[in-house]
Amino acid sequence: MLHIEIDGQQVEVAAGTTIMEAAESLGIYIPFFCYHPKLSVAANCRMCLVDVEKAPKPLPACATPVSDGMKIATASRKAKMAQQGVLEFLLINHPLDCPICDQGGECPLQDITMGFANPHSHYNEEKRVVEDKDIGPLIATEMTRCIQCTRCVRFGQEIGGIKELGATGRGEHMAIGTYVAKAVKSELSGNMIDLCPVGALTSKPFRYKARSWELKHTPGICPHCSTGCNTDVQSLGKEVLRVLPRNNEAVNEQWICDKGRYAYTGLNAPDRVTKPLLRDAQGKWTEVSWAEALDAALAGLEKVLARHGADKLAGLISGQSSNEELFLFQALLRGLGSPHVDHRLHQQDFRADAAMPLYPALNMSLEELEREPLIVLCHGFTRHQQPLTNHRLHKAVLNGGKVVSIDSMRQDFNFPVTQMVAEAGEDLALYQQLAGHLAHVHEEKQNDALVHLAQEMAAADNPLILIGSALLHHPQAADLLAQVESIAELAGGRIGWLADESNSAGAWLSGCVPQRAPGGHLLAEPGLPAGACWNADMQGFILFGVEPGVDSLAGAQAVQRLRDAEFVLSISQFGNEARQYADVILPMAAFAEGSGSYVNNEGRCQSFRAAVKLPGEARPGWKILRVLGDGLKLPDFQYNELSEVSAAWHHAVGDYGMDIPPFHAFPVLEAVQPIAAGELLRLGDWPIYQGDPLVRRARPLSTPLVARMHPDQARQSGIQGEAVEVSSASGKVTLALELDTHIPLGCIWIPLGYPETSGLAAPYLPCSVAMAALLPETQRAS
Amino acid sequence: MLSEKSLKAIAFERSKYPPEESRSALLAALRIAQEEQGYLRDELIEYVAEILGLPAIQAFEVATFYTMYDLKPVGRHKLCVCGSVSCFLNGSDNIIRHLSKTLGISPGETTADGLFTLQEVECLGACKDAPMMQLGDRYYENLTPESLDALIAQLRGGSEDVR
Repeated sequence: MLHIEIDGQQVEVAAGTTIMEAAESLGIYIPFFCYHPKLSVAANCRMCLVDVEKAPKPLPACATPVSDGMKIATASRKAKMAQQGVLEFLLINHPLDCPICDQGGECPLQDITMGFANPHSHYNEEKRVVEDKDIGPLIATEMTRCIQCTRCVRFGQEIGGIKELGATGRGEHMAIGTYVAKAVKSELSGNMIDLCPVGALTSKPFRYKARSWELKHTPGICPHCSTGCNTDVQSLGKEVLRVLPRNNEAVNEQWICDKGRYAYTGLNAPDRVTKPLLRDAQGKWTEVSWAEALDAALAGLEKVLARHGADKLAGLISGQSSNEELFLFQALLRGLGSPHVDHRLHQQDFRADAAMPLYPALNMSLEELEREPLIVLCHGFTRHQQPLTNHRLHKAVLNGGKVVSIDSMRQDFNFPVTQMVAEAGEDLALYQQLAGHLAHVHEEKQNDALVHLAQEMAAADNPLILIGSALLHHPQAADLLAQVESIAELAGGRIGWLADESNSAGAWLSGCVPQRAPGGHLLAEPGLPAGACWNADMQGFILFGVEPGVDSLAGAQAVQRLRDAEFVLSISQFGNEARQYADVILPMAAFAEGSGSYVNNEGRCQSFRAAVKLPGEARPGWKILRVLGDGLKLPDFQYNELSEVSAAWHHAVGDYGMDIPPFHAFPVLEAVQPIAAGELLRLGDWPIYQGDPLVRRARPLSTPLVARMHPDQARQSGIQGEAVEVSSASGKVTLALELDTHIPLGCIWIPLGYPETSGLAAPYLPCSVAMAALLPETQRAS
Repeated sequence: MLSEKSLKAIAFERSKYPPEESRSALLAALRIAQEEQGYLRDELIEYVAEILGLPAIQAFEVATFYTMYDLKPVGRHKLCVCGSVSCFLNGSDNIIRHLSKTLGISPGETTADGLFTLQEVECLGACKDAPMMQLGDRYYENLTPESLDALIAQLRGGSEDVR
C-alpha cells in the first residue's frame, strides 16, 4: 500500500491506483472530459491536470499512477492555472450555442466551464467548423461542438464493437467520424450519446423536444429482454421523452441497448388504443365506454363457457407482462375452469415441458459470466437477443475466456466467437455429433472443429453451456434440449438458460404455463400449450399484450384460428392486428405507463412504477384483469392496490432460488416429423427490433425487411436481382433479397415479426423461391 | 493491388512485432504502399489494413495524421514547409506565401504541370536553422525568397539533386 496526500488529506491506496481514482476515494472532485471508468485511459483532454509536488509540470490525474509519498494539490494556483488554460483552449473552437444545444443543462463542458474557467478568453480569431456526419437515425451529430475526447471512439472499439468510428486528421484538423459515410450499426450505439461530454452526439428522436431540467425522472426496468436493464424513464407531462440507463453494476452497469433506449418512440403509434373498442354485428368498430365494453367482454366469455365449456377457452399472455399481471391472468383463466394458459408464443415444440426448470434461470449472476473461461452458446445470438448479457460475454472474452456458438447460421458477433454452424436443418445432428465426440473424447484425434470443441469442453473445468432463446423456437427443441443436457453431463459442465422475453422467468414462476401453477407446482390436468391452441378447436380466447399474427411462429394459422373463434377478447395497447379478429379490445397501459415487477434472467425481482399518466381511457393491465375476475364472480379478485397483488404473488410463488436445477427429468420424447431434407429450408427468427409490439412500432429503429441467401445458393436456385418470390405451403410473398455468406447452403433466411412474412410457413419448413421482377412499392420505399 | 516485392516488405515489417501487435507495422506498411503507388488511395489504405488484420479506420487515422502520407497524387517535387513555432517566428508564413505566389498554388495543391506540390507540415526538428522545408530526403534551411527562387529555377530546369 502507498501513502499519499491529496489536498492535505492522507490516504492509503494500492499500487497502480491513479491519482483520479485515489481522489475519487476521498471524495475530491477533479474535473475531466475524456476519462471514463469503463474505458481505456486516453488522457487527451488534459482537463484533469493536477499539481504534484516535485513534478515540474502539472500531471493528468487520470493517467498518472500514484507513488509512495506523493503530495497532490488539485486546487493550488498551479493546478488552477492549468485548468483555466485547458478550458480556454477547449473553448477556442467550441461554439457557444448552448441555448440551442440539446446537451445544455447536462453538459460537462458547460458545468466545468462555469466551475473552473477564467471568464475571459484571449481568443478573437475565427472558430473552426467541422462537417456533420450522418451516422444513422438514432444519433444526431453536431461535430463542430466536438472536443476530441475520443470517448465515442473508445466505446465503439472496446465495448460496442463499432469498428467504423475513428479520429482522422491532425491537430486542428482532427475530426471524429467514419472514413467513408457509414451509419454506425451497433445495438449499443446510443450509449455514445451518454458518453459524449458535449453536444456533438445527441439523441435524434429527442432532438429539440425538451430541456433536461424540465424532465421528470422515474426509475424503470427495461421490458425488451431478459437482462432486465435498469432505466431512467424521463418524461414531460404525459409524454415519455427519452429513456436512459440507470447505473446498476450488477445488471447493466451503465449501459442500455438501442432497443431499450428508443422503443418508447413506438408508444404513440397510430394504432395505439386509448378507448375500449367494440365490434358490432356488421364488423364495424366503435369506441364505447368501459362499462359497455366490460359488459360485452363478460357476456362474450360467459357465452363461450356456457356453449362450449371452459375447455374451449384459452388465454395467451405476453412474456413482457409484469408478475402481477401474469399472476392475475392465470388466476382468471383457471378460475373460469380453463387449463389453457401460456405465454410461450415463440415456441412450437412442447414435448420437453415436464423437464423444464422452475424458471429459465441463468443460474449465476451476470457479473459471474465475465469470469467464465469457456462458454458454449446453444442457438443463442445474444448480441441481438440479450444485448447487455452479450456485453458480459464480450468481457469474458476480453478476460481471456472463449465463447463458442452452435447455431443454424453464422452470426455477426461483436467479439471473437468460434462458430459451429449446422448444415441446413441438421441442427440436431450437430448436437448429437458433439455429444458423440464428448463420449469418446480420448479416442479420436480427427482434425475437426467439433472434435476440438469436445476436447476443449472435456478439458475445461466446469464449462458453461447457455441455452439460447432461439433453441426454444426450433421445431425439435425438445430433442435439442435433451442433447444439451447430455452434452453438459458428458463435459462435466453447468447449464444456464437465456430467457426468451423480459419476464419469461416471471411467467414460469407465476404459473403462466399450462402444466404448472404459481410457484411451479405441477398441475394434475395440464392444459394445451400456446402452439397447440391454434390446432385445437378453441372457441374463446383472452389475449393479453400479444399479437399472435407476428408473435407466433405460425402467424397465419394463429390469425385464422382467432378469426374462426366465437369470441376473442384482446387486452392490448395496439389495435392493428386485434381489429382483424377480436370482438372486444380493452386498452391497456404500455411501457412506462404501468407499475409492477419483473424477474430477470438471473432471478432478480425488480419493480418499476408508472412514469406517465395513462393515455385516454387506457387502464393498467392488472386492474383490467381484476375487474374481469370480479365481474365473473371469481373469488380472490378483491384487490384494491397493486401492492396487494404483489403480496399475493410473493405468497403464491414463495422463495425461489437463483441457482436451480436446469432440468427436471426428461420424459420419453415422441418422435416428431424430421426436418424435410433436400428442399430449400426457411430459416428465421425475430430480429432485434421486431420482437415485441412496442419495438415493432418504434420508427427510428425500423429496419427494412429483407430475405437473405448465400450467393451460391441464389445462383443454384436461379435467383438474380434484388428481389425474390418465396412460396410455402401456407402462402407466398415477394421480398427484397440480400446475398449473405452467413446463411448456410440450402436455406433462405426470412425474419419473423413482420406482418408481411406472417403468412409464410414457420422456420425449418420447406419453401421454394422464384425470381421476382419488381419489389412491391411499399417495401421499395424503405 | 500491391506488387509481390511490396507485400514481402510488408510481411518483413510485420514479422518484427508480436502476433497480436500488427498495428505496430502499420506506419511502415503504409510507407511501402505509398512508395510503390505514389500516393494512398482509399482502397489502398483499406487493403493495407486488411493485410495487417486491422479495422480500416485505424489505418485511416494514421494515414490522415502524418503529412508524409499523401492521400492524393502529388507533384514530382513535394515542398514540405514547416509551419511550426520556431519556423513561424522566423517567417515561415512569408515563405509559404512566396511559394504560393511563385508556383500559383495554395498549400495542399499541385501545379498543373505536375512538377510541384506545396504543403505546410509540422515541426521537422531543424529549428536552429528556421525557416526550413523538406524536399525529397533533404532539408533546406534558413530559407529566403531569393534562395527559394534559385531552387525553383533549378528544379524547373530538370535538376533532381540541388543544394
